[in-house]
Amino acid sequence: MGKQLIIAIGREFGSGGHEIGKILADKFGISFYDRNILDNMFEGMEKTQEVLKQYEEKTVNPFLSRRVRGHTNSLEENLAEMQFDFIKEKADSGESFVIIGRCAESVLANYENTIKVFIRGNQKNKIERVMKIYSLDEKEASNKIKRHDQSRAKYHNKYSIEKWGSSKGYDICMNSSCLGVEKTAEVIAEYVKKRKEIIGNS
Amino acid sequence: MLTIEQVMALIIFVAMFVFIIWDKIERQYVTLGAALLTIIITFGLCMRSPAAIMRSLNIQHFNEMSFWISKEGTETKTSGINWETIIFIAGMMIMVEKMGKAGFFKWLCMKIAKIVNYKPIPLLISFMVMSFCLAMFIDSITVILFLAAVTVELAQLLKLDPIPMILSEIFCANLGGSATMCGDPPNIIIGTSLHYSFRDFIQNTGIIAMVSLVVIIIYFLAVYHKELVHEKVTQEDINAMPEPREVIRSKKEFLISCIIFFLAVVLLVTHERTGLTVGFIGIIIAGLTLVTAGKDAKEILREVDYKTLLFFVGLFVVVSGLEETGTLKLLAKHIEEVSGGNIIIMVAIIIWVSGIASAVVDNIPFAATMIPVIRSLAATAGVDLSILAWALALGTDVGGSATPIGASANVVGTSVAIKNGYLITWGKYCKTSIPATIIVMTISMGIIIARYCL
Repeated sequence: MGKQLIIAIGREFGSGGHEIGKILADKFGISFYDRNILDNMFEGMEKTQEVLKQYEEKTVNPFLSRRVRGHTNSLEENLAEMQFDFIKEKADSGESFVIIGRCAESVLANYENTIKVFIRGNQKNKIERVMKIYSLDEKEASNKIKRHDQSRAKYHNKYSIEKWGSSKGYDICMNSSCLGVEKTAEVIAEYVKKRKEIIGNS
Repeated sequence: MLTIEQVMALIIFVAMFVFIIWDKIERQYVTLGAALLTIIITFGLCMRSPAAIMRSLNIQHFNEMSFWISKEGTETKTSGINWETIIFIAGMMIMVEKMGKAGFFKWLCMKIAKIVNYKPIPLLISFMVMSFCLAMFIDSITVILFLAAVTVELAQLLKLDPIPMILSEIFCANLGGSATMCGDPPNIIIGTSLHYSFRDFIQNTGIIAMVSLVVIIIYFLAVYHKELVHEKVTQEDINAMPEPREVIRSKKEFLISCIIFFLAVVLLVTHERTGLTVGFIGIIIAGLTLVTAGKDAKEILREVDYKTLLFFVGLFVVVSGLEETGTLKLLAKHIEEVSGGNIIIMVAIIIWVSGIASAVVDNIPFAATMIPVIRSLAATAGVDLSILAWALALGTDVGGSATPIGASANVVGTSVAIKNGYLITWGKYCKTSIPATIIVMTISMGIIIARYCL
């Protein structure tokens, strides 16, 4: 493998960013972190993992939380901070991995081996994909996409300098609707290979 | 009909509260910004009163003997920035920082856990009592920061669930803080603003807090009895526990910390007799700590929570805006009208309104705002100010225990638990703490009414 490789993927709901991440992880033979990050963080604490899934990548309700000397009672905020620490720990350990969401591109902004990717999609394609995966009608799928994207954007923008989905925060931004999930993954893989060459030479 | 300066003071105050709750801007910037607006708009543009600005900044208080020594008969009415409170809290922060570095708190927790042989029920009771006693003299954030961390550590080694212990420790820290003048910040502000001594507090709120402690221990044991009896600690687990002395960084530092802490307690308990104000005691304690810390003094000073001290500075100016414009007198008049001048109804209103408000918003601004209100209420309705002061102290201190955001100790305690994988949700927290809060507030109201109003 040579040098460490980290691919941080931000994605719109229904764009296939998660699947693209999996394809890339398989292609480069590296670890893949998404929601399973909780299993790694809370090994042997299945009940805790289950509860925390509800609070992942969620925004904080300001009326139900308070901050005192760097501490907060908010489960969402504590979990976010713990996940950021975990992501940094993994990066510091030298491990190569693909990470989905969790502000990873921002958390690892100063790690030169990190390739920051954002996947978006056309509304029509995203709705079709969500309808198929979750067995929803068009309206339900559209609402689900809107809800998730709003929540992701709020969560991301709370902890990151650059806005969610803004090209300034990423190395490569792609519309998965143009080429489809697999071909988009191939293009990104080509980009990653070129970047790896540069990383390897530096 | 409100005057323009009253309207401005009220708008600034409400906006400050909204920004504090919103929590997007650090709260010290919020209160300092609101203080600046109070000085410029309320005192400057509306009242055109440089004297009101001077009174709100209260710098002249340092030149007055009453800042250093309090003697009977020389009582002065202080408004504006309560420097005595700020300096006392700063002094205690410095002392506590050194105690923490020396390993005092961790040693105490480990020692007590060892004495009770790490058995779950005695551990719960002893940690509740320890939390109560420490919070009588030390700020509850520090108490819970150390206690919750050690509880998690013990729980992991002994394979126990730390959540019942952390929740009961938080409650007892808030309760212990209500017992003395130097416990919770609302009490320090009430004591210094209304000139009550350590003895006054211990004889009034202290007795109520101790009665409540007994009831609350029984309550938490009843609530968590099932979980606690199922916890089994093996001899193997006990043998694996570290020795308390291992957590002491340096014996010399530890001993000096203990002596300074003991001196602080003695000075506070006897301050009525010696005449030393708590502000002066804060300076003595801080001075001794820094002198004995040697080269560590700089680091200790760096660790002081200046944000909280600045928060207080701004807060006092904003509240003085309400006071100077007579807005708080209107509120006092309203309470008097609602209660019909009946002291029992007044006590009930103050305890429950303070309690409910403190459960959802920071109890420090609430207490600071209510002090001029009860002072005005006592003067106009002709009731004993001290009765209203005890009701306010207990309402704000105990009410803050009801929710995870009611008091600083709650936030810190839940945060420590969550960071270690023990999740305390709002539901889990409130399930035990709301009934406990109602129990203690009912006890407090009952004792105050029975003792002073009948």
